[in-house]
Amino acid sequence: MPDGLDELLGCRLAVVTGKGGVGKTTVAASLALAAAGSGRRTLLVEVEERQGFSRTLRTPAWDYREREYRPGLFGLSVDATDAMYEYLEMFYGLKRVSWVLSRTNALDFVTTAAPGLRDLLLIGKVYEIERRRRSDGRPAYDLIVLDAPPTGRIVPFLLSPTSVSEIVRVGPIKAQARSIAGMLSDPARTRAFVVTLLEEMPVTETIQSVAALREAGIAVGPVIANMVVRARLSPDEAKTIHALGPDRIAERASAAGAPLDAATAELATELVAAHADRLALQAELTDELTESTGLATIRLPLLTGETFEERDLLVLADTIARAVGDDGPLADMP
Amino acid sequence: MLVTTGAGGVGKTTTAAALGLAAAAAGRRTLVLTIDPAKRLAQALGVDLSGDRPNRIELDAPGELWATMLDMQRTFDELVDERAPTAERAAAIKANPVYRTLASTLSGTHEYMAMEKLHALHAAGEWDLLVIDTPPTRNALDFLDAPKRMTGCLEGRLLDLLMRPGFAGGKGLGRVVGFGATAFMRLAGKVTGMELLEDLAQFFRSFEGMYGGFKERAEQVLVLLRRPDSQFVVVSSPQPPPLREARFFLERLEQEGLHTAGMVVNRVHPVCAPEPSDRALEQAAASQPDDTEGRALAGALRLLIDTRHLGYRERRDVAAALRGLRPPALIEVPLLHSDVHDLSSLRDVAAALTGAA
Repeated sequence: MPDGLDELLGCRLAVVTGKGGVGKTTVAASLALAAAGSGRRTLLVEVEERQGFSRTLRTPAWDYREREYRPGLFGLSVDATDAMYEYLEMFYGLKRVSWVLSRTNALDFVTTAAPGLRDLLLIGKVYEIERRRRSDGRPAYDLIVLDAPPTGRIVPFLLSPTSVSEIVRVGPIKAQARSIAGMLSDPARTRAFVVTLLEEMPVTETIQSVAALREAGIAVGPVIANMVVRARLSPDEAKTIHALGPDRIAERASAAGAPLDAATAELATELVAAHADRLALQAELTDELTESTGLATIRLPLLTGETFEERDLLVLADTIARAVGDDGPLADMP
Repeated sequence: MLVTTGAGGVGKTTTAAALGLAAAAAGRRTLVLTIDPAKRLAQALGVDLSGDRPNRIELDAPGELWATMLDMQRTFDELVDERAPTAERAAAIKANPVYRTLASTLSGTHEYMAMEKLHALHAAGEWDLLVIDTPPTRNALDFLDAPKRMTGCLEGRLLDLLMRPGFAGGKGLGRVVGFGATAFMRLAGKVTGMELLEDLAQFFRSFEGMYGGFKERAEQVLVLLRRPDSQFVVVSSPQPPPLREARFFLERLEQEGLHTAGMVVNRVHPVCAPEPSDRALEQAAASQPDDTEGRALAGALRLLIDTRHLGYRERRDVAAALRGLRPPALIEVPLLHSDVHDLSSLRDVAAALTGAA
């Protein structure tokens, strides 16, 4: 396990990926909140136009402008078309107004010509931000957290600079693509975090993607296990429940002021059995992750409130900070 | 024909396999086609799907269950072989550097190939039921747009442009498409290198005369999908992001005149009675003695609270996503003890799907 947030976030770009449905966006937001809470000027970037962050943080829709949504936490939603216009303006002095390309599906064309160019445009924007400096020479942001494509597409996404520079034989893009590839393969600048659930298929996919990311020359940080079921009973206690049986459970609950009907008492015993199975599986899969990847696992709990709010994100941010031995954003709060 | 669709990671493949299993149990000769490269279906069914032909799954059932996986590159190659006027032309297309990357990256290609395969399987007429698992596209709508987008791309104005000899210099193009595109072509050449544009033009030129076939097939598939015996099953998990995609898809199916069989919400927490209240349960848990039995009971009561909260949150999110919509069936598949990774757990899912239906 890294020692403190300084070591965990000892990079300039944190790339957060994971299999669909594992809560990648939630984890990216929590990581960014943990970073911002530790005094880092942090930029959270989404590239898939999902508006995942604006929903959870209840802010207006994010767009192609960096805005401060929480103290120290900036947000940006990168769109490939905007990135292309900006790129062309920057390098070729072409003003957006002079373009009539939207009619001709220019981006479809460009991405047909050079597959991976769309990804390259998105990463290119992140690269531009990473290189940007404040007036005193410090980087524009201490940390950029990228909510990246899912594990199925992450390696082609991150390798797009390399693959485009193979297809594109000459021209300025080739040189730029090489610099971007340089940023991605430098462990001091870029680190990938794979988010998983402690379930069989996500763990299998995580192990494969950690290997594929390393193969692609990208440094990988601790695995972040999301929605981990917290232990409510030990294995022995689960056995005790089984031995007691529904009738006795209902009786004791009733004596304590919580009368259970037969169905609820039955459900309680089933839940306990499922819970014990789940905890055993989680432990087994955590071991498997450690053995196969050699990485530490940060476990984020499945929060069981009736709703999921910004406060829950702070709890997760806090958990991340505490997992590496630091105070989290909740430390100063009542 | 049953088409399962939904966001990535919601259990589409599992649902498709479970539907296939249920159909085989009901006596039908069923084929499940998966497009997912993760080979999850193979894992669950215990067969190797990498081969060219459908595999039969050993079942003790009156019907049959077969499964196959879509191989993108092979389907595309077959398509080129079949449609190209000569073998030389087919070889020229397949040797083009653009073609080699196209199959996996051009937007809509994946979906188009799935449609193509679907058409072929349907035309073969060997099956009572085809269950098709759609690609885990970010936006499930891509699936319906696929035929249009594929042909749209092949027919587009830029293509016309590219097909003209000497296009890359931008000569005379201003007259055809206006200044912007001319500037664009020059710039595209400058940025990407001329060879790439030449490869691309060559690629499209070699497809000349084949577009009509693509378009016709795409239209045939849409006709097939619109038949009343082609039904869509929208799959989601009970989390807001996939539920939003499910909603868009249900709306889109309705707009397109396609038939929705129902919506499946996977892995929902069980219903827990509203009484006793959370407060009563928590107090009862807190008052337990600190011994094994007491701690065990406290844990069991707190699990009831957790389950009630999560079930409430999930059902509220499902209801919010479906507001104003009425899918013909709404089926909850309960969260199982363990992951679905073999035939027996797949049977549990099948039972939940058919029992509730």
